[in-house]
Amino acid sequence: MYYVLQLTLSGLAQGAIYGLIALSMTVVYRATTVVNFGHGDFVMAGAFMAYVLVIYLGLPYIPAAVLTVVILFFFGVGISRGFIDPIKAGPHIGFAMMSISLGYVLRGAARTLWGREVFPMPRVFDMEPIFLGDLVVTGDVLYISAIVAVLLVVFFLIFYRTTVGTVIQAVYQSERGATLIGVNVQAFHQSMWGVGLAMGAMGGILIAPISLLHPDLGATFLIRGFAAMTLGGFGSLRGAVVGGLLLGVAEQNLGFYVNTALIDITAYLVIVAVLVLRPAGLFGKTVTVRV
Amino acid sequence: MNKTKIPSTPSMTKWRRVYYLIPIVALVIPFFANEYLLWVVNAILVYTLVTVGFNLILGNLGQLAFANTAFFGIGAYTTAILMVYFDVPYFLAILASAVVGGIAGFLASVTALRGIRLYYLAIITLAFGELMRWVYLHGDKVTDGSDGLLLPAASFFWIPLDSEAPKFYVFLLLTVIVVKATSNLMRSKIGRAIVAIRDNESATASLGIHTARYIVLAFVWSGSVVGIAGAMFAVLTERVLPEAFGLTEVIIHFGMVLVGGTGSIVGSVLGAIALTALPEYFRQFPGMDELFFGIVIVLILLFLPKGLVSLLHRISPVFQERYYRD
Repeated sequence: MYYVLQLTLSGLAQGAIYGLIALSMTVVYRATTVVNFGHGDFVMAGAFMAYVLVIYLGLPYIPAAVLTVVILFFFGVGISRGFIDPIKAGPHIGFAMMSISLGYVLRGAARTLWGREVFPMPRVFDMEPIFLGDLVVTGDVLYISAIVAVLLVVFFLIFYRTTVGTVIQAVYQSERGATLIGVNVQAFHQSMWGVGLAMGAMGGILIAPISLLHPDLGATFLIRGFAAMTLGGFGSLRGAVVGGLLLGVAEQNLGFYVNTALIDITAYLVIVAVLVLRPAGLFGKTVTVRV
Repeated sequence: MNKTKIPSTPSMTKWRRVYYLIPIVALVIPFFANEYLLWVVNAILVYTLVTVGFNLILGNLGQLAFANTAFFGIGAYTTAILMVYFDVPYFLAILASAVVGGIAGFLASVTALRGIRLYYLAIITLAFGELMRWVYLHGDKVTDGSDGLLLPAASFFWIPLDSEAPKFYVFLLLTVIVVKATSNLMRSKIGRAIVAIRDNESATASLGIHTARYIVLAFVWSGSVVGIAGAMFAVLTERVLPEAFGLTEVIIHFGMVLVGGTGSIVGSVLGAIALTALPEYFRQFPGMDELFFGIVIVLILLFLPKGLVSLLHRISPVFQERYYRD
């Protein structure tokens, strides 16, 4: 019992990051119906950007993180404008490949600049672990869970309680309808790319102190993000978060009780199982095509 | 009266026979190329089949299925395991790889038939490929795990495949046979049905075409072609490593299809040549190969969405694809 709780605790912290990244992918997917296959590399880019600001420019951690998020937002808007809009008329294969290759460019750039080394990101909150009975709560677990929880509350408050959120929901429901009441749908798509990348960058900044920085950082998060989205229901916002948390917990427990090698493929097993047994996931709507 | 050019009239089909010249001219390559260059040429032949098989699914059937590395790896490991543990001759191992690849293709098609499409299909097939890689890594009693399975000396009937030149001739023969067979398949009723499914699945079904049957057939054919490519790859590298069948590989395959031209067999060949030869040059600088690959694909998507093969179309309508023009 003790182990289950301890593993669940660290699983939740991992899962919170997966959930945040899955949510950032869902935001783009819901707005534009484009799945960003390069999202992992944008997460990596966010982490590296924060690293550059902290180490090379000597900024304190928090301003660096905020600046990174802002930069990645405009980066996302630029990507949407320069690379996604021009191929809008084409097939989905084009979108998939475009997002993959943009990710490749980022990864190649990171590897050219920093080589194959692995960088430690400076720790933010160096604190003593807290003991709750037998449970050990490390500083990492605490600050990741806290920050992600705050971010999620802010996100869902904006989404459900403000005018901006209402407009976003309106466009999600019907682009034509939103256009008729005067919403600039194209600008909306672009800003949603920005929001998606900014949120992904937050995930990258949070995970970097634990996972170390390297150009291949993104690949693992891309698959975890997909698994979380699939588990929660593709396109469902709360599903992405719940799916991420469940995935994190499942990974830790399977890895401990069955076989450590399973940690690497839990995400894949989840994807296959969910899509074969219940393609709609936990919260999704069934949108399968049947002929 | 002005003569208008009508593409693909019967008189023009005979001009398409210039394609037959390509393998004939290629026969002289071993007399000029050194071992390394010939290795690259052999790799191009392997990737030609990989791309032809993948293009059938992506371009002709129009399904976003990424199980290609799974087929490739399964083909390679089938040949390797049969040759290492059972002393099976290479020729039979190739056939076995084609059969096992076809079975893997069938498995992948089941997901598509269950109504899993578009991004769902993309993600589940990606997972299939990665799960297979995990099996290669952790089934180390058979596959030797991350050390890779070392192949014994292979010979194709009486030809020992101990250097690049004999490999080249055997690979060329296999590639020509498979590419020609695929090309014929695409020009038959089956090929037209596959393209019709891509363009409008419901309409195709309403014409009395059993769509499920053709989807399965396309996947099985694709799996077999890529399985054969895997069998060639095993002998080319002489050691089958799990790392050769990862996520990055399937993305390179995808890039080859796109750079060459989706839905075009000639495009597949062009894409395989372009993306095998050029990155080989950039490999010496870490990161540059990825940077180069990404930039090339972005530029192709923005400015040449129909791939390199569309440059050929501009030269003469003779080279226009006949049943899958957009």
